[in-house]
Amino acid sequence: MTMAGSVLAPNPAPAAAPSPAPRKQRTGRALSDRRTRFGLLNATPVVVYLLILFIYPIFSTLMLSLKGEDGAFTLHWYTDAFRGANLEILLTTLRISAETSLLALGIGFLLASAISRLKPLWAGLAMIVVVVPHFISALVRTYGWIILLGDNGVVNNVLTDLHFPGAPFQLLYNEIGVVIGTTAVMLPYTVLLLYAVMKGIDRRLLAAAASMGAGRITIFRRVYVPLVAPGLVNAGVLSFILCLGYYLTPALMGGEKQTMVASLIDEQVMKQNQWNGASALGIILLLLTFAGLLLLKLLKSAGEALRNRGTAS
Amino acid sequence: MIELRSTLAGRVTLAVLSTLILLFLALPIVVIVVTSFGKDAFGSFPPDSWTLSWYTQLFADGSKWPAALSLSALVAAMTTVFSLILGMTAATALVRSELPLRSAVYGLVLAPLVIPQVVIALGLFLLFEPAAMLGSPIAIALGHTVLASPIAVMILMATLKGIDERLEDAAASMGAGRLTVWRRITFPLAMPGMVAAGIFSFITSFDEFFISQFLSSVDTVTLPVQVFNVLQYNVDPSVTAVSAILIAVAVVALALVGVVRRLSGSGKQGGLLPTETAVGLPAGSETTS
Repeated sequence: MTMAGSVLAPNPAPAAAPSPAPRKQRTGRALSDRRTRFGLLNATPVVVYLLILFIYPIFSTLMLSLKGEDGAFTLHWYTDAFRGANLEILLTTLRISAETSLLALGIGFLLASAISRLKPLWAGLAMIVVVVPHFISALVRTYGWIILLGDNGVVNNVLTDLHFPGAPFQLLYNEIGVVIGTTAVMLPYTVLLLYAVMKGIDRRLLAAAASMGAGRITIFRRVYVPLVAPGLVNAGVLSFILCLGYYLTPALMGGEKQTMVASLIDEQVMKQNQWNGASALGIILLLLTFAGLLLLKLLKSAGEALRNRGTAS
Repeated sequence: MIELRSTLAGRVTLAVLSTLILLFLALPIVVIVVTSFGKDAFGSFPPDSWTLSWYTQLFADGSKWPAALSLSALVAAMTTVFSLILGMTAATALVRSELPLRSAVYGLVLAPLVIPQVVIALGLFLLFEPAAMLGSPIAIALGHTVLASPIAVMILMATLKGIDERLEDAAASMGAGRLTVWRRITFPLAMPGMVAAGIFSFITSFDEFFISQFLSSVDTVTLPVQVFNVLQYNVDPSVTAVSAILIAVAVVALALVGVVRRLSGSGKQGGLLPTETAVGLPAGSETTS
């Protein structure tokens, strides 16, 4: 469960107005000074901790990626990363991340919309099936897929028994295996993110659209999808970002052609002692992640602007 | 309530599809648990005959598993302590005080969740390697805390938000000092949240692979790293039993959180599961700045 809990915040960060209701102004001054000091005191441990064990290490990774063998500034680790086999691995990473996040998004959409229509009891049970795997080690779940997808695994046996044309299939150590395994790891994220949005939708809006004569497809396209859109964007971009740096499943279920950046970094550090190159790859991953987050932010504000214009007119 | 009625065919299709998807999520877990009791570890499924020998083999002489298990437990215990301390102070600062640069602090705290773990692991490796701390359980626990503390902070923030601040104010107005208020009022009320935060910190560390992989040495190997090595390099059928144990640990942990929630009166204390409340990205830009 190496990625568990990621990006699942209790509430969207309330950027402003952190303090409780405005206090009376005079006494407020002195009181707020004390509250500020108390806050700083309590915030110090975590901030110091993360500065030393999170920010500083990333910063030193950045420095290392810019340093040549002679210690002088260089960009050649980056140009190396975008050449030959390394470039191919970068592109593979982007391709597998795109395939996986689209699949997880599609499947997650189906499941979340089905669950959001169930009665509370059944919805609760279905959510347990979604949440429990999320907290079970991704390594273990990947191993489960290796057992399932082997040449004599359950999946191939069932397909052979059904006389499915072409069975048994090669499902391991190729892209099919990697995408199946990684999608299974990302699916709980997309389902949880989409379910949260879908539960908040007022289903009377759909009924209202129907009463005005809209057909099913129109309702889905013009009412439901726009309402769910923020969740779709969130879930899609997030699972893409999480895939980018993912290691376990591609390393265990993929072949040569499914090597992802994380595996390359691992190999460069552990086997080739090539820390500078690995650092450059890490920074590239980091920048791609930032780009994804920035995209998310832009889409969010674009969506809000669009909605505001809609209500104004 | 007015509902949009769906067609029978549509409902059946959706039901079948979602059952298949739920199977997709559950099957890998079920298959491991069942196979771990099967006589022929890599044979047919379901197994023809049953055995417990994979479990007994784990603790046979010369087995590497007990050492890995105890290292993982030790590291997870340390991580739990670290992240509870960091989590409680940080949550107090974020919920119960006026903090300058609050959103920057909040962003910093949650950032480890969206930053690729390879990058965190690589950075920690570069930090601990020159200090000759590779393989040290403390180093691994310090690394795991980077991942576990955001989860603890989120759970404890939700917990503190659920506690009526006026109770603390009332105690303070009657002359209780900060420490007394904390010990007699806040701590007991926050207990369920702290248990949940502790449990999630524990399993985050217990299951963590990548940071452990970078920070471990030849003779200090955590359980997930050992499982990975077996899966990648050599075949040891008892790995199925280890995986089943890891599943059991996670399920028991989740059940414990559920029990604590029930005992504390669900509804009042939301957010014990980091995933159950409204989910969203903690404002993207905060993590980038």
